Amino acid sequence: MTVDVNKTDGPEDTPPAGPEAIKAIPVRHPGRYVSAAIALAVLGAIVYAFAQAKKINWGAVPDYFFDDRIIEGVLHTLLLTVLSMVIGIVGGILLAVMRLSKNPVTSSVAWFYIWFFRGTPVLVQLFVWFNLGLVFEYINLGPIYKDYWSSFMTPLLTALLGLGLNEAAYMAEICRAGLLSVDEGQTEASHALGMSHAKTLRRIVIPQAMRVIVPPTGNEVINMLKTTSLVSTVQYVDLLKAAQDIGQNAGSIVEMLFLAAAWYLILTSIFSVGQYYLERYYAKGSTRSLPPTPIQRFKAMLPARRPKGVSA
Amino acid sequence: MTAMVKAEGIHKSFGPVQVLKGIDLEVQTGEVFCLIGPSGSGKSTFLRCINHLEKINGGRLYVDGELVGYRQKGDKLYELKDSEVALKRRDIGMVFQRFNLFPHMTAAENVMEAPIQVKGVSRALARERARELLEKVGLGDKAGNYPSQLSGGQQQRVAIARALAMEPKLMLFDEPTSALDPELVGDVLDVMRDLAESGMTMVVVTHEMGFAREVGDSLVFMDGGVVVESGNPRDVLTNPQEERTQSFLSKVL
Repeated sequence: MTVDVNKTDGPEDTPPAGPEAIKAIPVRHPGRYVSAAIALAVLGAIVYAFAQAKKINWGAVPDYFFDDRIIEGVLHTLLLTVLSMVIGIVGGILLAVMRLSKNPVTSSVAWFYIWFFRGTPVLVQLFVWFNLGLVFEYINLGPIYKDYWSSFMTPLLTALLGLGLNEAAYMAEICRAGLLSVDEGQTEASHALGMSHAKTLRRIVIPQAMRVIVPPTGNEVINMLKTTSLVSTVQYVDLLKAAQDIGQNAGSIVEMLFLAAAWYLILTSIFSVGQYYLERYYAKGSTRSLPPTPIQRFKAMLPARRPKGVSA
Repeated sequence: MTAMVKAEGIHKSFGPVQVLKGIDLEVQTGEVFCLIGPSGSGKSTFLRCINHLEKINGGRLYVDGELVGYRQKGDKLYELKDSEVALKRRDIGMVFQRFNLFPHMTAAENVMEAPIQVKGVSRALARERARELLEKVGLGDKAGNYPSQLSGGQQQRVAIARALAMEPKLMLFDEPTSALDPELVGDVLDVMRDLAESGMTMVVVTHEMGFAREVGDSLVFMDGGVVVESGNPRDVLTNPQEERTQSFLSKVL
C-alpha cells in the first residue's frame, strides 16, 4: 500500500452521494480581456519609450551598478536606516509610555515632543542640527569629553539625530495605538494572577500590541530608507549622494538616478520580505491556522517526498 | 470556622454613581458563597473589590484576616504598594465572564505563565503541573491549542486551571458561564462542582440558580448596591422572604 502524504484519503474526498452535481456554462466576461489588453498596451508603450530614448546611455547603469562607491553608499544608507529606526523605536516606546502615564508632566512633555517633531519638516530639522554650531561653540561634558561643536557633530551624527528623533515622534503614536489596542481584560487577568505592572506590560501587553505595531513600523522602515536620501544635504555620503557624484564626473546624471532608484527598490523589497515573516511570528494564536508562506506553497507544488520514519 | 472574606460596610462609587451602599457579609473558609441579583446590582463590583481590582471608598474588607489594599497602623490607613497588592493577589484566583485567556499563548502556556513569572517555578515543573491541571478540567489533549482554537466552554475551563495553578486559598468567579452557549455551561459547572467538593473556598457571582441551590452553602441576593436577603440557598431560592427577592426569582426561575 502506498500513501500520498499530500492527500488525506477518506470520506472527505469522495463527493457526497445525493443529487447530481451541477454542470453549467460559466458567464463570459469579455470586458476583462479588453481592460487587460489596454493595460498591457499602455505599460508596453511606457517601457518602449524609455528603452529607445537615445539621450539615455543605459549601458552606464550596469557599468556602475557594483561600483565601490555605490556599494559604500548602499551600506551607508542601510546603516543610517537601521540606526535611525533603532533610535526611533526606542524613543517611540519611551514617549508612548510617557504619554500614557498618569503623571501630567511626563505626558505633557511627550505630547509637546510629538507636536514639535511631527509638525516641522524633517529636512528643516536636518538643517537645524547641521547649523547648531551657531548656538553651541563647544561641547563640554566635563572630564569625559570636550571638543569643538563642529568636529563633534559629524555628518553621520547630524543625520542620525535628525532622522532618529523625528522618527521617534511617529513611532510614539504607533506604539501608543498598539498598547491601547490590547483589551483591558488582559491586564486585569494578569494582575489578578499576581503579576506586576512591568511583567504584565512585558509578557502580556507588548506581545499582543506587536501585532498592531509591526505593520505600520514596516511601513516606517521603508519610508525611512527613502528619507535617508535627504542626508546628502548635510554632507553625508549615502546611496543617492554617491550616485550623484559619479553622475557629475561621468556625465551620466540621469542614468545614475535610475541606478539609485533600482538599488532603493531592491532594498525596500528585502525589507518587505522581512516584515512578512515578522508579522507571521506575531500573528501567533490570533488565527486558527496561518496560511502557508510562498516558499511553503512552492514546496507543496513539488512532487511529494515521503517523510522519514513513515512506513507505508 | 474562620471567615475567609469579611466585609464591613463596603461603599464604592464610580464618579457620582454609588454602586455599593454598605455591604456586610462573611464568607467562611471552605464554603461556596453565591452572589445573585439583577445586573447593575453591584455584585460583580463587590467581587472585584475582594482582590483589589476596584478600590473601595468606604468600609473595611478583610481576606483571611488581612485588610485588602491597605495597612492599618494605629488609627491611620496606609495604601499598599503595587508590589504588596500583587503579593496578596497570588492567593486569590479569579475567573472572568469573558475568560481573558492570553491569546498569544497555548492553553498550557497560559497555565504555566504565572507560576513561572510570579513564583519562580521551573519551566519543567510548571509544565508538569499545567498538564495535571488541564487533565483535571478535562482538557488534557488541548494543552498545545491556542485559545482561538478552543470553544468558549473549553476556554473557561483553561481559565480555571490557570487560576488554580497559583494554588489559591480563595477562588472568585465572575459570572463564569454567562458568555457561554447553553450546551457548554454544564462542563464548566461540573469543574466548579468538583472544585467545591475538594474544599476550595469559592465566591461565585452567577445566574445559574440550579448550581447555587445544589452546590452553594450560602447565598446573598443583592439589589441596588445593598444585600437584600441572605441565607441558605435552598431556603432563599424556594422560600424568599423579601418582596424584591420574590419578584427577581419569579423572573429568572
